[in-house]
Amino acid sequence: MRIKVVLFLVIVSLIFPLFPVSGQPSGELVIALPNDPTGIFIANASDVTAISATRPLYDGLVVYGADGSIQPGLAESWDISEDGRTYTFHLREGVTFHNGEDFNAHAVGTIWEYGMTPTNQWLSYYDSVASAEDIVVIDDYTVQITTSEADAFFLSEMANGWFAIPPGYLAEVGLEAFEASPVGTGPFMLEHWAPGDRIVMRAFPDYWNPEQPKVERLTFRIIPDATTRMAAIQTGEVDIVTRLNTDDVALLEFNPDVNIVSYPNDRVYYVAFKNIGNGVGTPLENELVRQALNLAVDREGLVAALFSGNGQTVSGFVIPSNLGYDPSLLPYPHDPQRARELLAEAGYPDGFGIGMSCPADAYTNINEVCLSVQRDLGAIGVDVDLEFKTTNAFWSEAHYATTGPMYVDSWSSPNGEAFWRLEGSLTPGYYYSTWTDPDIVDYLGRIAQAVDREERAALYAELSHYMYDDPPYIYLYILNLFEATTKRVTGYQPLPNETFYLNEVGVDG
Amino acid sequence: MRLTGDPVGLMVARNATPEQREAFRVAHGFDRPLAEQFLGYLGNALGGDLGKSLRLHLPNTELIMQRLPATMELALAALALSLLIAVPLGIVSGVFPGSPLDLLARLIGLAGQTIPSFWLAMILILVFAVNLRLFPTFGRDSPQHLVLPAVALSVAGMGQMVRLLRSAVLEVCRENYIRTARAKGLSEVVITLRHVTPNALIPLVSVVGVNFTYMLGGSVYIETIFAWPGLGTLLNDAINDSDFPLVQAITIFIAAFAIGLNLLTDIAYDLIDPRARQR
Repeated sequence: MRIKVVLFLVIVSLIFPLFPVSGQPSGELVIALPNDPTGIFIANASDVTAISATRPLYDGLVVYGADGSIQPGLAESWDISEDGRTYTFHLREGVTFHNGEDFNAHAVGTIWEYGMTPTNQWLSYYDSVASAEDIVVIDDYTVQITTSEADAFFLSEMANGWFAIPPGYLAEVGLEAFEASPVGTGPFMLEHWAPGDRIVMRAFPDYWNPEQPKVERLTFRIIPDATTRMAAIQTGEVDIVTRLNTDDVALLEFNPDVNIVSYPNDRVYYVAFKNIGNGVGTPLENELVRQALNLAVDREGLVAALFSGNGQTVSGFVIPSNLGYDPSLLPYPHDPQRARELLAEAGYPDGFGIGMSCPADAYTNINEVCLSVQRDLGAIGVDVDLEFKTTNAFWSEAHYATTGPMYVDSWSSPNGEAFWRLEGSLTPGYYYSTWTDPDIVDYLGRIAQAVDREERAALYAELSHYMYDDPPYIYLYILNLFEATTKRVTGYQPLPNETFYLNEVGVDG
Repeated sequence: MRLTGDPVGLMVARNATPEQREAFRVAHGFDRPLAEQFLGYLGNALGGDLGKSLRLHLPNTELIMQRLPATMELALAALALSLLIAVPLGIVSGVFPGSPLDLLARLIGLAGQTIPSFWLAMILILVFAVNLRLFPTFGRDSPQHLVLPAVALSVAGMGQMVRLLRSAVLEVCRENYIRTARAKGLSEVVITLRHVTPNALIPLVSVVGVNFTYMLGGSVYIETIFAWPGLGTLLNDAINDSDFPLVQAITIFIAAFAIGLNLLTDIAYDLIDPRARQR
């Protein structure tokens, strides 16, 4: 009998350690970053690398779900007023900052005050908070935020960067010290930051969600060179590497210790037309010509030849992962015959000559893409005068005034909606906007005010059809992104905007 | 007005309004005439203020000082390594021309000066980190982490020093005072150590100075490849992000450092070689 008990205990003790106690974070996760984050205070984090690396320190009132929808974060629920301008947030109780300070309604406005301070307003962070006009504390756990007008994206902006920071600690140590050693309510707290080298965080033991995080230690290592990142994942010195190209994938594909993660990036590549500046008076003003140019380009061939098929052709600026995508709208087919007919119909039976600018080496294989578009358009009699420019010159103010009248570019859009891509490139007066269409502007205005998600989806679909029939661009493709993790990493799924949450990511062994 | 493009377009959010752009321009003085911007910068630089990084919002001098120790550590290690190998090898090959050691020295001299260091760095990583797992791939965590970057950075200088020393030794060996020493019956070991080496090492002093500066500059590639958190990676980031003030500051710092070091080398030359003082 005693032997059986002992045997049972031995067996149990052998099995039990294999299953860590639920909710107990364990192990270390090491992530390679391709560049040094601009800062670890969220307002100083100005690119996707920096945002991903700093986000574990913070929580927002709302967060993104996997499908891009808005989910409760530090706010358990919220109500929106009839006019769509006033949001009443009911906050989670019992949440503390890493320094022990209580999170409550008085802490909600701290980050907003920072962003609205005039000297900080040129920071890209300003965009994240500028919509809010006023914040009123109703009681300790209820706060009311009013926007200047009905704003469809207010909650998205909150999910992006409106994070809780402790007013007491900030006042005590001052902004400079806070920037060097920020405090939030996030699943991880900062242990050590060595600029240019690493950011080390450890699990916050009093995190409000007892199931998160899954790892005890989180380390970001800055490795600027792609070859070195590839070497480091092969030796297991890092667990996650981002931004792999197809050659890297081919190298790692058969490595038994590595998993490849692939996802479509929310960045549309296109050829833009101008109907302002030097675009005025060109054939591009004719709708039939623009349709013809869309029909002339062999997108499928381009994606197959230049990206080994690791991409998708697109029908417009609203892509499959975006709200309001209409799957019935198929990408323009490759039909040079029909394109020539349309050109003749438009009054250009012999084609025409036109200038096109290309941002040399700005994106993967973009030079070849430009050449391939030039060749395809040449096949229908459109003689493209291609001009390669360095990226800095291409995107500088002076260039945008004289570029084109066609140019190759790309635009990403965060939050699972195409709005930012559409707004940035199609709002008259905007820096990078070279196409003016009052109907599109009207659509965008309506989308921006449609606080209801379903209503917005319907408007996106309608706009997509409009922009398909009267295209301001030659829509080209979106690309798949590749990342790699070591086999021991669990629960890692990057978002289409190239950032990631690490609350649910764990490591085995 | 800038060859590199307008910094405002690069630093401000893509959707920023014209007012926000203007505010940025004013806040950073980009609205003032170029001559005024330049003179203002020059005045501040003389006082040790090299401006503020656009990207990191910190004083450039502070950023440079933060990263300088790592770069110094790597450059000194590389210099020590190249001296450690180049000095004995150069002397032996000069004393025994045509011997197998001389062949090795000439090979190292040639390879060191022809193999690009960034290529060597990648090969070192593939062989010694990925395949043999003898050294870590990247970072600055332990003395072990120093080995591969120091080797990669040292090879070019090592090659130059070996070649220089070899020819210096050959030259000294033909001098009359060496013949006199032999005639006096001194042993070859004594001649080499007492008479050849000290005289052959004199030209090395200036090369060491130049090489050290070269290593500071060359560390841009090597540091970037090995993710070594020094001035090189800082400069690489600054260039990639068009952080002009920081690029300028690092360039000026390295240039000033090179000038200072050259001065020290000249002074050292005077101290070591009495003939230089008389001239």
